[in-house]
Amino acid sequence: MKRSTRLITILAVIALIVAACGSDESDSDNAAADMGDEITVYMQMGGNQGDPSTLARTNGAKAAAAALNVKLIEQYSGWDPQVMIEQFKEAAAADPDGIVIMGHPGEDAFASLVADAESRGIVITSGNNPLPTLEAEYQAAGFGYAGADLYAGGYLTGQAMVAAGLQAGDKAVVYDIWHNESRSVSSQGVFDALEAAGLTVEKLDVSDEVDQEASLAIPILTAYLADNPDTKAIGTQHGNVTANLMKVLEAAGKAPGDVIVGGIDLSPATIEGIEAGYVSVSFDQVLYLQGFLPVLQVALNARYLIPGLNINTGVGTVTPANIGEIAPLIEEGIR
Amino acid sequence: MAKRPVLTRLAKRPVLTRLAKLESLPIAAVLLTLYLVFMITAPNVFTGHRIYMSFLQTIPPMLVLALGLTFVITAGEIDLSFSAVVAFAGFVFTWWYRTVGEPWSALLLAILAGALVGYINGVLVAKIGVPSIMATLAAQFFWAGLTVLLAGGASWNIKGIQDEALHGIFVGRLFGSIPAQSLWALALTVFCWFLLNRHRFGEEIMFVGDNPNVARVMGINVERTKIKLFTMNGAMAGFAAVLLTTEMNTFWTTQGEGYLLPVMAAVFIGGSSIAGGEGFVVGTFFGAYIIGSLEAGVVATGIGGYWTQLVSGLVMGASVVLNIVIGDGRLAAVSNRVRSWVTPSRDDGG
Repeated sequence: MKRSTRLITILAVIALIVAACGSDESDSDNAAADMGDEITVYMQMGGNQGDPSTLARTNGAKAAAAALNVKLIEQYSGWDPQVMIEQFKEAAAADPDGIVIMGHPGEDAFASLVADAESRGIVITSGNNPLPTLEAEYQAAGFGYAGADLYAGGYLTGQAMVAAGLQAGDKAVVYDIWHNESRSVSSQGVFDALEAAGLTVEKLDVSDEVDQEASLAIPILTAYLADNPDTKAIGTQHGNVTANLMKVLEAAGKAPGDVIVGGIDLSPATIEGIEAGYVSVSFDQVLYLQGFLPVLQVALNARYLIPGLNINTGVGTVTPANIGEIAPLIEEGIR
Repeated sequence: MAKRPVLTRLAKRPVLTRLAKLESLPIAAVLLTLYLVFMITAPNVFTGHRIYMSFLQTIPPMLVLALGLTFVITAGEIDLSFSAVVAFAGFVFTWWYRTVGEPWSALLLAILAGALVGYINGVLVAKIGVPSIMATLAAQFFWAGLTVLLAGGASWNIKGIQDEALHGIFVGRLFGSIPAQSLWALALTVFCWFLLNRHRFGEEIMFVGDNPNVARVMGINVERTKIKLFTMNGAMAGFAAVLLTTEMNTFWTTQGEGYLLPVMAAVFIGGSSIAGGEGFVVGTFFGAYIIGSLEAGVVATGIGGYWTQLVSGLVMGASVVLNIVIGDGRLAAVSNRVRSWVTPSRDDGG
């Protein structure tokens, strides 16, 4: 059942994308109008407008909104769980047709708010970070999930790092926001994969300042590498830090391949790092679909009462071997 | 007492005399102490050159922003919009370079864009009377939002800038390792020191910060001074944006966001008074290097996991306390006495 719903959804998405790309503007306007009356969807996008870990999600959501006659209200929280809760309250107060939330604040924080909104007929669905208990409870009412299994994605990244040339006994560091559990799920996967391969792994915390201005990570990681010259690998699941890792390694006097680097997302600077051989692997959670699918989910439930679909968007990595094929799509803001 | 004649003799040496007259010696001592502690606790890192080169690579944009803010703070005002200017001017620089392909005009436009933001801030504060904290907070949101809107939310890579002469001049590596931006920031520090301490404009800023009404009575055009002040701060933020964008070869719509608190901390650790009327360019210089070095130093000592921020905060707090104790507190008398031995007053015939 689960497999068939995934297949139907993927086919629907492909059909919509093809329709959106293949038709002229008036055709797509007509197609959107054919979907029925306009519905309003509030959507939590996660970070800040335009940052590498958010842009493709926004683009995907906008494309879905245009194709499905949805009035999209974007909400940006800078990944702050408290802001996400406040944004949910604001969204619910506006009595929209649907709200797309992220799971970072946790199930306890969302439970009563979601229950209240559901009782008022608002379709709720989730993305990026799952809320499995709420999803199970409200799946029939359209509560789904579109996003990577973050832990599995991190684990996949860690395994790809090992495959890139690490061995048991090597030393690695995983640099991420360890002080915020909801933002280090993926990195925990990297950590566990490296440790399972027999590496000695250390956790290094990303401060709030580095979280906002990732260039500040350069002296910190330079210091770490100087203090730990035997470090063979750096892992992170912070998109902006990944984008700066090439500069870090240059500052530390490392040549491409001296240190195996595993990161996340595909910003222009990360692509440059992959092309130059400094970034060995980047976890691709297909953010565009994380934007497109939740809007589609709300529209499907609001119009056709289709229950919540659980779709894993993160099953791949980008490496120097495949970056050439994907780079043009990234330039277009699709990958 | 027996040592006094020796010090008096030393006082006749002009270099030492001038050294003793330098401002912000306590905060310089704090930075030196900090590096000495890091050298002891993390010798592998702080006895090599790479960590210092990475500081010289990343701290200059923060320092340039802090220098501009020092003038604003000295005038008794505040500017919260500089981080948004880093994004906006960075956008102007990158967009122009990608569109026209000419970096020098892009540099000029970025600085002008920053100056324009600063000028508008100045007019709002000086002419319309909006409190600077409100005017610049609104500006922070507006210019950050406009940047995202204009850039369509996208990040842009400008790899081609590495082949331009501008890249080599502003962020190249002297002798293969010294980041050029550190020298530009140092030169700007010297310029700002002269401007604040040896120029009429600096004098006007201090009077305005001390008491605007008295400044008016003394014939200073307070409004014009404030507009010039904010315009200069904006232009400097524009320059910082160019340094950052050129160094990273990439423009992000959110760039500069993380500088807001560290830059303010650098200015206040440097000793400038939040009440206005007193500003220390040299203090800001050392303050920026303290703030910019802290986290890396703590990490280098091997303190990892959840301890990094806590220890960074402790060291930052200790730096401020040490600066106050040496500069104004109990040790001030000792410090002043030593200074008087080295630089005898005119009454002593020195």
